[in-house]
Amino acid sequence: MSSKEELLKKLSDGVVEMEEDDVAEAAQEYLDAGYPAFDGIMEGLVDGMNRASQLYEEEEYFVTDVLLCSDAMYAGLDILRPYLPEVANDDKITGVIGVVEGDTHDIGKNLVKIMLETAGFNMIDLGRDVPLQQFVDTAKEQNADFVCMSTLMTTTMGGMETVIHLLEEAGIRNKVKVMIGGGPISQKFADKIGADGYSQNAVEAVKLAKRLLNIA
Amino acid sequence: MLTPKERLKLIMEGKKTDRPACICPGGMMNMVTAELMDEVQVYLPEAHTDARKMADLAKAVYEKGCFENYGVPFCMTVEAEEMGARVDMGSKVYEPHVIEYVIDSVCDYQKLTPVDVTKGRAKVVVDAIRILKQETEGVPIVGNLTGPISTASSVMEPVIFYKELRKKSKEAHAYMEFITDQLITFGRAQIEAGADVIAISDPSGTGEILGPKFFEEFAVTYINRLLDALQAEKLGTIVHICGQMRPVYREVNELHSNVLSFDSVVPMKEARAHLEDRVLMGNVSTYALEFGDPERVKMLTRSCQKHGSDILSPACGLGMKSPLANVQSILECLKEEA
Repeated sequence: MSSKEELLKKLSDGVVEMEEDDVAEAAQEYLDAGYPAFDGIMEGLVDGMNRASQLYEEEEYFVTDVLLCSDAMYAGLDILRPYLPEVANDDKITGVIGVVEGDTHDIGKNLVKIMLETAGFNMIDLGRDVPLQQFVDTAKEQNADFVCMSTLMTTTMGGMETVIHLLEEAGIRNKVKVMIGGGPISQKFADKIGADGYSQNAVEAVKLAKRLLNIA
Repeated sequence: MLTPKERLKLIMEGKKTDRPACICPGGMMNMVTAELMDEVQVYLPEAHTDARKMADLAKAVYEKGCFENYGVPFCMTVEAEEMGARVDMGSKVYEPHVIEYVIDSVCDYQKLTPVDVTKGRAKVVVDAIRILKQETEGVPIVGNLTGPISTASSVMEPVIFYKELRKKSKEAHAYMEFITDQLITFGRAQIEAGADVIAISDPSGTGEILGPKFFEEFAVTYINRLLDALQAEKLGTIVHICGQMRPVYREVNELHSNVLSFDSVVPMKEARAHLEDRVLMGNVSTYALEFGDPERVKMLTRSCQKHGSDILSPACGLGMKSPLANVQSILECLKEEA
């Protein structure tokens, strides 16, 4: 019988090593031993994902590696999540994320979503090639705190500015922070269109979201 | 006085010329803007599917003093569409993009339709090149190919594709071979029709996404296989890779193309320092081209030239709203400096 610490390490290491099956097995063993699901997620799975992000920042890991780490994390989450005590989702800070209309490149967006979820945000993923009005409608319906948009194409960058205008028209621009990113996007472009922030990669996006929303 | 074609040829051979060339290949490196379409009254998305219009729009790029080349097509979805992916042709301002994939795994590649250059939009592109060849001279015609990794991740979900590169290595290689064979067919047909240069852009196969090991194993290997299979009778080849090069300079230097091109996150000075003996193309910021003014564009042009760019070009595809005056400033600046 493994101790709680050993199992947490197994969960965390499994995520870093991209071993989906090991993580699932460790998660089941952890539950069977009667340890609390919440700790398993935070100190096991999320800890592993944070270590993966650190490796990504250090350029030891690349995008494909992080995608596989996140698969392993989600394999563990699927098992542990049903055993979490009920928490109202209202307490969580909610973000809407998507790739703007005209573009279907969503690797970067997926990575940002994974990192933000790992950091504890409730993310609503609109997917790719998202009609611009949908960002605004969803933000309004879900009472979102922030909107994240990305694109890899110069030709679709302009859509981000349109979304900001649409948020103004809907009267909710002062309630949501707008973050943007993607290949051709820069801080300069963010300033020009009046976005609240730009981040160059997924790790930076988490730091940016926390800064914009005043979360320690 | 050198013709644009003679100048580009000398540069690609590593020889001295009066000044750097100024080109924008097309394909992912879009060079069509709204103002240009208005000038010649030929419009996207129609020109994506009509060889005559495609050729006319390509001609306008040179005739209106933007760049010293013709280039087709104006998107990177032709190969994927011919293999069975569903493509939204976009609009006057949006590029065509894939909206429905064909396969769910690298293992299923036999379900893909091989590219047939006598049909569909592959034929449109080849016909457009033929028209350009018949009606023009002295200006290089650039045929564009979507890179192997980018094509492979256009007919299936990219996230699954990237994961299977690691998890199903053997099948992933078989898939990449199939994809590369289709690109070879399309590339050879373009050269046969009269393309002087083949430009390959592989934005989904970056060092940042793949990391050095997989970049070498999958991007470099298959781009080289494609380059080596093209006919020798041509001016040369260009490979454009997006993103940071720092993790992969050594691997990039293994590419067999005549020219290497990077986007604007790569400082020309840094690229030149790492790739001393290569012919480099780039990399005037498309942000400056869209939102700056001619003075700013000229400043960036002079800086690229000073730091070792042999062929001046935008760093990425042009934004559709880029003012013509800005776009024309790169070439204008090179002529002033010469």
